[in-house]
Amino acid sequence: MKARLLAVCPLLHGCGGVQSALDPGGDQARALFSLFALMMWVSGVVYVVVAGALSWALWRAWRYRGADSRADGGMTLRIDRRLAQLLPLAAGAIILGLTVLITASFFADRALFATRASPALEVRVTGHQWWWRIQYRDPVSYGWVETANELHLPQGQTVRLVLGAADVIHSFWVPNVAGKLDMIPGRTNLLDVTARRLGWYRGQCAEFCGTQHAHMALAVKVESPAAFRAWLAAQRAPATPAAGRGAAVFQVACAACHAIRGAGAAGRAGPDLTHVAARRSLAAGTLTMTRGNLQGWIAQPQAIKPGTSMPQIPLTPADADAVATYLATLR
Amino acid sequence: MRTQRGFVAARFAVALLLAGCQREARDIGPSLPQTSPRGAADPRIGYYQDNVYQIAQGGRYFSWYGCAACHGEDALGVRDLGDGRWRYGGSFNQVFASIVRRHGSLDYATRVPPEQLWQLAAYVRDLPQHTPEKRRRLSVDQVGEPQGQHWSGPVR
Repeated sequence: MKARLLAVCPLLHGCGGVQSALDPGGDQARALFSLFALMMWVSGVVYVVVAGALSWALWRAWRYRGADSRADGGMTLRIDRRLAQLLPLAAGAIILGLTVLITASFFADRALFATRASPALEVRVTGHQWWWRIQYRDPVSYGWVETANELHLPQGQTVRLVLGAADVIHSFWVPNVAGKLDMIPGRTNLLDVTARRLGWYRGQCAEFCGTQHAHMALAVKVESPAAFRAWLAAQRAPATPAAGRGAAVFQVACAACHAIRGAGAAGRAGPDLTHVAARRSLAAGTLTMTRGNLQGWIAQPQAIKPGTSMPQIPLTPADADAVATYLATLR
Repeated sequence: MRTQRGFVAARFAVALLLAGCQREARDIGPSLPQTSPRGAADPRIGYYQDNVYQIAQGGRYFSWYGCAACHGEDALGVRDLGDGRWRYGGSFNQVFASIVRRHGSLDYATRVPPEQLWQLAAYVRDLPQHTPEKRRRLSVDQVGEPQGQHWSGPVR
């Protein structure tokens, strides 16, 4: 018995966690999960009934095997006639089951769009090969506050994600918060999310988008509205960089593609690095954010994430060290 | 005799189709050129110039490094890279040298890594072969790409 329980545990373990549609932490994910649970139960009942009927038919065939058809024919005929009378009942059950599912699907769909008419915080998420550009509508200046690869959501408030793609089709998928929605070049898709449970979650690109599709993850943090406002204010502020060798090397070797507000770097091709050290991960969830990983990534991006658009920059080890030290101060 | 001829034709057609597979072949990993081309016959040139993937990457870096600010579609005279006339020579190493040395204070030799310079040279040398339709197609495809210090969003 214990062994059997132990065998089931790893299976159930997959149902929870930071990236699971079976562990909803927001209204939209909850609506989808309810629909899933209902379909699971209805399909479960259908499965049991069909498997039971099949077993019974097999048992009956086995029970009367080799019997004289004239002797027992009358009996089986009687049973078959009774079964035929049950047919309208079976048809009714099928129609009822399908009606329940269609109705539930209709209401789940309505629930996903329930917030669409009301105003919400606007956040632009743009898929690039292979990272996420994230921009918050600044409630003060009404401009955009840009960050990358980390999405913060205020608890209990609806956020309207404006999804787009810069190069190829990507798909935004944070299963604990909402269902997946494609990001398609040349058009924008809207996804409303209302997160309820505090904590960190993980999102992932859900549409194959090239070599490093698997390394295109997204950290999602649901925090209290006050903490969210404080975080957004910190992101809005320009960096306060220390001048030095690292800053000078960055300006020559990195600033063509990366921006650091307040330090004169204004490239837009790569992720905004104004507060890079305050993030949880590096290179779209590929590495955790540590001083050592920063330097490793700067020195050998093509070895860590082969095919990434970040070029191999020929820096001396001393320069790579200086740039990593500099970036680690950008909190 | 007839079947044999048909067989040869089929083999030729398959070979022609398979040849298309090589046009995008790429090595993924950290082995990259760290030096400039040595003359017009450098054996590495073909790897970039004859490869659609490398040329397309050159196009992306072309917009990311902001080259289109001066060498855009409506550029005129020496800045027009699509007219097939090369002021400083049109061979691969000459175009490469023009990118590196002839941009004054922009100093692409230190600001752009070697592999990207190879891809840019291949892309720029490919430009004169672009038909107007292809040029239009590329500009539609690259609408969402950042251009140097500007990015106006995925939709324009």
